[in-house]
Amino acid sequence: MSKSYATVNPCSMCMPMGMVLAFRGIEGAMPFFHGSQGCSTYMRLYLAHHFREPIDIASSALSEKGAVYGGSANLKQGLKNVIHGYSPKVIGVATTCLAETIGDDVQSIIREFQQEEPSARDLPIISVSTPSYAGSHEQGYGEAIKSIVQALASDCRPNGRQNVIIGSVISPADVRYIKDMLERFGCDYVLMPDISETFDAPLAADFPKIALGGTHLSKVREMAGSKGTITIGGSILKPEAGQWLEERFSIPHTALPLPIGLENTDLMVSKLEEATGLDMPERYETQRGRLLDAMVDVHKPLANVRVAVFGDSELVLGLSRLLTEVGMDPCLMATGLNSPAFAKEAGGISPGSRALYGVDFSDIQKEMAGLEVELMIGPSTGRQISQAELIPLVRVGLPNHDRFGASRQLVVGYEGAMRILDTVANTLIESR
Amino acid sequence: MALVKIFEGREEHIRQKGGDRDLPLACNNDSLAGAVSQRACVYSGARVVLNPVTDALHLVHGPIGCASYTWDIRGSSTSGPDLYKSSFSTDMKEIDVIFGGEKKLALALRELASRYHPPAVFVYSTCIVGVIGDDLGMVCRAASEELKIPVIPVRSEGFKGNKKEGYKAACNALMELIGSGSGDAPNKSPCTINLLGEYNVAGDLWSIKPYFEEMGINVAASLTGDSRVSEIQRAHLARLNLVQCSGSMTFLAKRMEEKYGIPYQRISFFGIEDMSSALRTAAGFFDRPEMTSKAEAIISREVARIKPQIEHHRSRVAGRLAAIYMGGAAKAVSLVKAFREIGMEVVIIGTQTGDRDDYKKISYLVRDGTVIIDDANPLELKELLVRQKADLLVAGVKERFLAYKLGIAFCDFNHDRTTTFEGYNGMVNFGREVDLTINSPVWRLPRERKPALNRSAGMPTEGSCPKATTGGNVNVEELCNS
Repeated sequence: MSKSYATVNPCSMCMPMGMVLAFRGIEGAMPFFHGSQGCSTYMRLYLAHHFREPIDIASSALSEKGAVYGGSANLKQGLKNVIHGYSPKVIGVATTCLAETIGDDVQSIIREFQQEEPSARDLPIISVSTPSYAGSHEQGYGEAIKSIVQALASDCRPNGRQNVIIGSVISPADVRYIKDMLERFGCDYVLMPDISETFDAPLAADFPKIALGGTHLSKVREMAGSKGTITIGGSILKPEAGQWLEERFSIPHTALPLPIGLENTDLMVSKLEEATGLDMPERYETQRGRLLDAMVDVHKPLANVRVAVFGDSELVLGLSRLLTEVGMDPCLMATGLNSPAFAKEAGGISPGSRALYGVDFSDIQKEMAGLEVELMIGPSTGRQISQAELIPLVRVGLPNHDRFGASRQLVVGYEGAMRILDTVANTLIESR
Repeated sequence: MALVKIFEGREEHIRQKGGDRDLPLACNNDSLAGAVSQRACVYSGARVVLNPVTDALHLVHGPIGCASYTWDIRGSSTSGPDLYKSSFSTDMKEIDVIFGGEKKLALALRELASRYHPPAVFVYSTCIVGVIGDDLGMVCRAASEELKIPVIPVRSEGFKGNKKEGYKAACNALMELIGSGSGDAPNKSPCTINLLGEYNVAGDLWSIKPYFEEMGINVAASLTGDSRVSEIQRAHLARLNLVQCSGSMTFLAKRMEEKYGIPYQRISFFGIEDMSSALRTAAGFFDRPEMTSKAEAIISREVARIKPQIEHHRSRVAGRLAAIYMGGAAKAVSLVKAFREIGMEVVIIGTQTGDRDDYKKISYLVRDGTVIIDDANPLELKELLVRQKADLLVAGVKERFLAYKLGIAFCDFNHDRTTTFEGYNGMVNFGREVDLTINSPVWRLPRERKPALNRSAGMPTEGSCPKATTGGNVNVEELCNS
């Protein structure tokens, strides 16, 4: 889009960040960066700020020697220490720009390590190629999910289960909502990655080294024997894990947008009805009715309100869809992800809107000028524009570094739509 | 017996004062792979030191992440310009890695200079720049000539050492800026000082600068909190450098002493004792009776003023045990003294970047039984906090949630804190924060709910209360209350 040579106030993060978000949704998983110590520390800090949880990410802590002669020794020593210190059930090794550029063959180093180290022989160690310069955190997230599924899903004995892949980063509360719905449907499912507990852990007497929760490894293995896969949050991000399962094991795959708003939630529900042969549980009919009621309640104060929606691609599309359902105008839809498909999809949701992809906040601010935006929706990184332009910001998505409750923010489903609309309406009332 | 035995190779980094193994402890070396060190990288060290220069443009030459994660994360406040709160990056892509990023960097510099008109630019190199071999110096020199402003390369490739190397890289960059101004009149006031290692976090600087002014001392430049490029350019005209964060800035102080003959003295503005001795140090240097008596007047006035509040908090926290984990050793040392001022003892003290002398000083200060730890990690901290029975941890955000999960109070003393802790008022704030977190009712809430005693009252079925049946002869009431 923008022809600038410099990025000013980025609207995206780097690939290894996405890898952490995916691996933290797997039971007993320890994310590990093959690179310099800073990558791990910075991302730990960034995520701790957002989720308000302790976040441990190991690092091979490459030094100058490693950068020159290869990082094999550091990687092996690091893996050994992580196994010893954390007793993980699986380790995810992400490359960083440093490891990729010095040309370390991570997969063969891991193979060698597993041959040399008895404690690692039966431990899944999954490498993910995430050079920071090759894409954003959204792509790193997808890459990691694909790597996890490809590495583990192998048990293709039919089990009648439904695979549900969370294809785009949503909050722990969102994942809890979806899980809850699957439970109430009474269908046998495997949802991955499941960050519902790992990034929003209860305060308990015992504080485990690796947060409890996450998708069970055995269940990920058995994804190859499921009867179908749904990727939630895969309208423009490539749902590669689901596609791979389809190609490799002939498991039918459907990619859906994030279930944000009435119609997107309906879409997910009917897909589940189709897949399970079961009716949507009664309580959701009631919830749906309540959402419709809430939408009617707010339709006047929200009518034609011009909103700038920004952040992760699938989240922006879902939120914008919800806004149009009550007559709001998402006049600017922007994402840091460099994907022309985003603009196409955005055009379908709100034909007159400006859709920007691969942009930074300086582009967003420039585009906002003249659009008479009354409200901003997106991560807390929008706060400088919000303060400068005196436009209220409703914080949704990662990062949320300056408000509480990011882990518990519900956006998906009938319930999430109600909460967002109430927040949006009340924020506007406060600001007027 | 090893104190904490989690990772092989870490034994020498952990010592207990008065224990069976003596100091010195190992320090100032590469972090152990896989141990989840709390340290960051060379780039981060450089970034935290330079970032508070408010009107400079800080351009990160590398992939987007390095810029994303450091965008406006430092709590350094400004009294004016806010360009430093924006994040600039060359956002290197695959093609730049293959063909080199020099051209993109040059174009980005030109574009940004024309858009923002900064008085100077710092260009930070990241890991990848070091590997592909972009000639940062050459690009910066050319840009500097073309744009007629200082464009200063910061050699901060992430893997080239630890955070401390980054401090050095930042100091070298500052040295390039100092004295580079043109046509400035020499500073008239003979009593002019610089504050090195003062980052104006949460407005710290503003709580101490007035005392110097009251004493007739002019603060020429604060490095780097709330500073302007032009102030730094004139920093060589000062008579004295007061060095607070010694880990990051002693290197600069030494270089300024060599080049400009400016002596330096280490001080700290945190804690009553250290704050007072900082004022005495400055007065003592200029050796003027009226300044010395002014300093004493300020000290007795301020100490008397805050005494009731300090006493109040002291009465509520005295006897409790503190753990300290800091980036730099200077802050850690000040903290030990400040804790004593509110009646608390330190049971764990650690730093990311302390050196041998720092740990010697720390060991001298703390009492027997205190654990001293270098370059700690979450597993070690967790074990130590429990074993040493700490009531409070003072550290940064990464450590905050570790403490919370253990049910331990926490005080944020890192660069993203929002409360002023320096100066006399700062000490009151510190006492208040320690008091309110230690004495919060949240720690007294029952971790486990007491099961109802009369669960079977409605439907009296024998054995329906599991606790009543599993314990054999145990009294139900006793069990539920235990």
